[in-house]
Amino acid sequence: MVTAGESSSWYQPIYSIGAVASMLGVEATTLRAWEDRYGVVVPARSAGGQRVYSRNELEQLRFVVDQLTGGTTPSAAHRLLADRSHDVDAPVSNDPDRVRVVVLLAERDRYAVDLLEYFLRTEGYEVVVALEPTAAEQLFADVRPHLSIVELMMSGGGLELCGRLAVDGAPVLAMSALDLADQAIAAGASAFLVKPVVPLLFVSTVRDLLGSSALTQRSKATVR
Amino acid sequence: MQRLSTGNPRLDQILCGGLVADAITLIVGPPGTGKTILAEQCLFANVTVERPGLYLSTVSEPFDKLLRFGQGLSFFDNELVGRSVFYDDLGDAVHEGGLDAVSERIDSLIKQHRPGIIVIDSFKALRTFAQSDAEFRRFLHDLAGMLSAIAVSSLWVGEYEHDEATNSPEFAVADAVIGVETKRASERSTRFLSVRKLRGSDFLSGDHVYRITPDGLVVFPRLADRRETGGPTAVAERRSTGIAALDECLEDGYWSGSTTLIAGPSGSAKTLMGLHFVYAGAALGEKSVFVTLQENRGQLARIVSRFGWSIDDPRVTVMDRSPVDIYLDELIYEVLDQVEAVGARRLVLDSLNDLVAATPDPMRLREFLYSLVQRCAHHGINAMLTYETMELFRITRLSELGMSHIADNVILLQHVQHGSEMKRALTVLKARGSKKSTAIREFQISSGGIELGGPLDLSALTT
Repeated sequence: MVTAGESSSWYQPIYSIGAVASMLGVEATTLRAWEDRYGVVVPARSAGGQRVYSRNELEQLRFVVDQLTGGTTPSAAHRLLADRSHDVDAPVSNDPDRVRVVVLLAERDRYAVDLLEYFLRTEGYEVVVALEPTAAEQLFADVRPHLSIVELMMSGGGLELCGRLAVDGAPVLAMSALDLADQAIAAGASAFLVKPVVPLLFVSTVRDLLGSSALTQRSKATVR
Repeated sequence: MQRLSTGNPRLDQILCGGLVADAITLIVGPPGTGKTILAEQCLFANVTVERPGLYLSTVSEPFDKLLRFGQGLSFFDNELVGRSVFYDDLGDAVHEGGLDAVSERIDSLIKQHRPGIIVIDSFKALRTFAQSDAEFRRFLHDLAGMLSAIAVSSLWVGEYEHDEATNSPEFAVADAVIGVETKRASERSTRFLSVRKLRGSDFLSGDHVYRITPDGLVVFPRLADRRETGGPTAVAERRSTGIAALDECLEDGYWSGSTTLIAGPSGSAKTLMGLHFVYAGAALGEKSVFVTLQENRGQLARIVSRFGWSIDDPRVTVMDRSPVDIYLDELIYEVLDQVEAVGARRLVLDSLNDLVAATPDPMRLREFLYSLVQRCAHHGINAMLTYETMELFRITRLSELGMSHIADNVILLQHVQHGSEMKRALTVLKARGSKKSTAIREFQISSGGIELGGPLDLSALTT
């Protein structure tokens, strides 16, 4: 079994504060306040100064949220977190009863489409593919995907597409060979991955954003 | 930029940190130069269960042979095979379906294993299956597209000749090209590795000597240091030569960090000058390394004990090597490692002639000597090299590859005819930064070593 310690992707900054807030069911302002007050979970900052959380930090915050649900105070929860000697294992997902989850893949490179579509399908997702922004918007309107994956360098404007697909509430995963994390998150993306992507990291990011991993399922169940 | 270790720290150093990750690297060279070993060493150094390695043989390397020979290498871990290293054969695919089948097979292997690194060996062999250049280019384009779509590093191994390198389309596609070859010169063959292309990164240019060992390729980066301009230049101080009268001649010894050449014919006490130097350091508590290619440890022990010193002195590390089987680059790295390990302030190399004999390429030796002098100066280490002149008497020139030019100090030891006698004479030919005395001084060898006398009466010299 692969543990978090062996996986560098576990520490890679990926998620915007908004995405983390929605996955955990807490306000972004609360996350910022905790960071200022306790300094325990301090995410990396992008070049433009935006907070970008790793899977590890997401899991740490989930631990805090779990503690709060159990009646612990925020300061005690952070102390408990700081006391934990090692990082928790990466969650293992086996997605028991998922029903028809559709992912829109907007990507211009046919080789990337071929491989990424394959990896998504092996995870059990349905995949619709668009090779350019206009087609992507049309597909989005037609099928209402649960998640859109947008290559930012698409001719016709990947970044703009990112913004248009994000306004309707569905999460957007942005990707590019250039480090455009800031621009992507500013445009409304929930997460950003730099290309070429590591397949395992790619599918686990998708899983998190869809809220279908054990990690996010559990946090929803406990917070509400 | 992310880097991929080659599994050899010194090769990583040549590549300024390693291969560029998620890129295509060509490993090229004639048969028997260790290409497959280099690829396997790189593969095993980078695999994890999460991001395994794929080794794909084509038609020139029989699959089982690859595994059988691989097992003899220290980094080959049987436990990993089938878990994080997967060997597969593209031979059937290419024979039955040509290059299209190869593309399909690689595509399905990537999907199945999600590898972090892929080796294709031999890549060149695939070319013969293309009906046309156009077909081969299409295949290359497909493969490069596939390998760029996700994070995967690939190594393409091939027996390309030197001139093929520039003309083949795979060289244009590759992000990095590493060449390995064997060159023969004066009855010696030496293996050389060179980086011919490395996109997005600097690298150490030129030919680097390597050896094939059970630990894989062991590479010795070419010593070609630029002149040191900054850095920790040691505080200038004097280091005793070990001979009181000579210290006086030089105003209290050699400058720290300076290099001294001791030249003279056979039997002129050059080795003894070196011994004086290291044991003078030992008496002050300084560590030294004494490299001898002239005597073995036992022979040197006898000489040392004659003058009241001990070969077992813990402050003097003796490295005795046979002059017939030395490889300059390997020896130098061994010496530099040893100097660093013991924290030596003094280094003696006895003799320069042995290095000349071991190096077919004088340019390379010159580069090495220059680098050695620079490194020693930078770290405040005093180096001393001995050089045996061809002429027994009346030395008229020093043909030692410009070493007398590079060295800070040059001391000439001679036999001279003085009237009806044969005398030993010492002359300081050069002493950078000192007011040297130019006198030709007589010396004698007693149980205390070299005893420097007064200037020789020049009128009695037979010239």
